[in-house]
Amino acid sequence: MRRICALVPLGDPAVADPFAAVAAAAAIAARSAGRVSAILLSREANADAAVAQAAREGAAEILLASHPALPEVPQTDHLLTAFAHLLRMEAHEGLVLLPAGPVGEELAARLALRLDAVPLGRCTDIAWDGRTLTARRPAYGGRAEAVLATEAPLCFAAMRRPVETSAPAADAPAVRAITLDVMLPGDLPPPEIREPAADRPRRPEGARIVVAGGRGMGGPEGFAQLRELAAVLDGAVGASLPAVDAGWAAVAQQVGQSGAFVTPELYLAIGLSGTPQHLAGIGLNTRIVAVNSDPEAEIFRVAELGLVAPWQEVLPKLIEKLRAP
Amino acid sequence: MEVVVLLAGVVDPKWRLDGLALRPGTALVEETGLPRRLSPFDEAALETALKLRDADPTVRVTAVLVGGPANNALLRAIAAFRPHRVFRIGGVALSLWDPLAAVRLLGAAVAAAVERPDLVLMGREFGDGDDGALPPALAEAQGWRFCGLAHAVSLAEDGAVTLRRVRGPREEVLRLRPPVLASITNDRGNRLRHPLLKNVMLAKREPIEVVAPPPDAPAAAPALALRDIAVVPPPTRGAGACRFLTGPVEAQVEELAAFLRRWRAAVGG
Ligand SMILES: Cc1cc2nc3c(=O)[nH]c(=O)nc-3n(C[C@H](O)[C@H](O)[C@H](O)COP(=O)(O)OP(=O)(O)OC[C@H]3O[C@@H](n4cnc5c(N)ncnc54)[C@H](O)[C@@H]3O)c2cc1C
Ligand SMILES: Nc1ncnc2c1ncn2[C@@H]1O[C@H](COP(=O)(O)O)[C@@H](O)[C@H]1O
Repeated sequence: MRRICALVPLGDPAVADPFAAVAAAAAIAARSAGRVSAILLSREANADAAVAQAAREGAAEILLASHPALPEVPQTDHLLTAFAHLLRMEAHEGLVLLPAGPVGEELAARLALRLDAVPLGRCTDIAWDGRTLTARRPAYGGRAEAVLATEAPLCFAAMRRPVETSAPAADAPAVRAITLDVMLPGDLPPPEIREPAADRPRRPEGARIVVAGGRGMGGPEGFAQLRELAAVLDGAVGASLPAVDAGWAAVAQQVGQSGAFVTPELYLAIGLSGTPQHLAGIGLNTRIVAVNSDPEAEIFRVAELGLVAPWQEVLPKLIEKLRAP
Repeated sequence: MEVVVLLAGVVDPKWRLDGLALRPGTALVEETGLPRRLSPFDEAALETALKLRDADPTVRVTAVLVGGPANNALLRAIAAFRPHRVFRIGGVALSLWDPLAAVRLLGAAVAAAVERPDLVLMGREFGDGDDGALPPALAEAQGWRFCGLAHAVSLAEDGAVTLRRVRGPREEVLRLRPPVLASITNDRGNRLRHPLLKNVMLAKREPIEVVAPPPDAPAAAPALALRDIAVVPPPTRGAGACRFLTGPVEAQVEELAAFLRRWRAAVGG
């Protein structure tokens, strides 16, 4: 039986969905008669809730590795050393998955290099034909799909949580716990953490509604209105790459292929044309409502509700109406 | 201080890709006729290097464009920003799909630029096939310190590289000792300047420097082989058909407000 190993870095607030790789591994295992083993890495030895979640997500084997010397907010180099040590003991061959996102993707690439394996990047699907592994990946800004093949015994990939969740493993998983004592890199100055400014915008990840603006907002005034609208809806503000480049929104608000991946229930797209690079950052189950002055804009092909008008004629009145009790 | 900026370019994202395919009998993508430009992240990395040069006269910037002869126009566009040196590395058969081979090529590119780099900059994604794996893979292969998704870089008095990035909920400032590799994300602070017209003209006439990539190890089958590439339709979303609001704008706004009120009530907000 093929073993698919999912790595779960716990306790790092920069990893939005640490169990995504377990869910992705379970989906692959269901299609390829595989078995999911999850390696959880944390500072604390008691992580019952995390073990239970790994089991719910489909892990048949769970290894809980704790390292008391891990800093409260671990740096990637610490996670790298600890995971590399674990994998040298636990996984000499097979497929190792990490949660998609900046931390997981950096770990996947560097672990592969460190362990003489093949980095597959961020994949949407992985399957086998005999010894040959094929991986599917978006390319050219999500407009094309590449199919890559390898016979390497050990591969690393980053994956998102699948859109449809698979049934959890039927039997209770086998759980082991170990305490690590591998030397963590000691020569890393900890990053200086900037105090968040009081008016720092909320991150679009995790919000139930995202109010997003693009180049069509034309300036910072438009984004001030988006922030007001987000506030009355208890949502977060997102932005396209050109809007971030223009300085109307912060780096952390960029949604897309090269930015946040968001899965709110509702996405209000205002002054956004709907390019593949932008849409790549919005989950497939998210409902999109679009406001755009151009009736031909691509965004209307993916929206369920559309309003054709310049935002200037829409937002002030909309905010006023929503504020009214 | 030796700064090397690695650039890849992308197919112009506004250009239709219909019929994208492998060159028959090869694992190379047929891109003939597709216009290439710098990606937003190539631009951000280049601007970051130029800013470091402007701030400190001891900074030497070498710009390296990875790609075949089809990239010569792009190379001249880069030369117009007057880095201290600019060259192209790679031939017609260049492929970045196998990360291990790509990392060897990029390592050779940096080695051809300077003996000992202090700071290597590249975009957060490198070309049309990378999603951010190549920068950390290259740093790991070379044993350089790595900072992913930096949006501002400066040099400290003591020779350290100061990098700012947003990592999840926090903004971090890292101080790393060279050699450092940073992948750069777009930000207002690193939008690529416009070149001087005089330098554009100059770059049009200057000879182009091309460095041959190192020969691949004999019988080096790629560890990861590109088997197929094809344009895919955008994934289907929602019900498929958009319901356009009609009537006077005022009434449309009222309908949108009603929709949002219903949604807010349904989620219990
Ligand atoms: C490698 C690479 C990665 C990229 N990654 C990303 C990414 O992660 N995220 C991202 O967003 N982009 C990304 N891009 C950029 C992408 O290609 C597009 O340039 C970008 O998504 C377009 O943003 P936009 O919709 O805001 O602007 P535009 O495409 O210019 O659209 C503006 C829209 O506003 C409308 N409009 C104008 N005035 C008004 C008005 N008054 N009221 C209402 N509507 C109005 C217009 O009709 C138009 O539809 C990437 C590009 C590359 C090459
Ligand atoms: N694959 C293609 N072949 C020929 N023309 C194209 C292709 N893709 C885009 N164009 C045209 O190139 C021009 C530049 O596009 P744009 O950058 O959107 O202004 C437009 O007129 C497009 O219609």
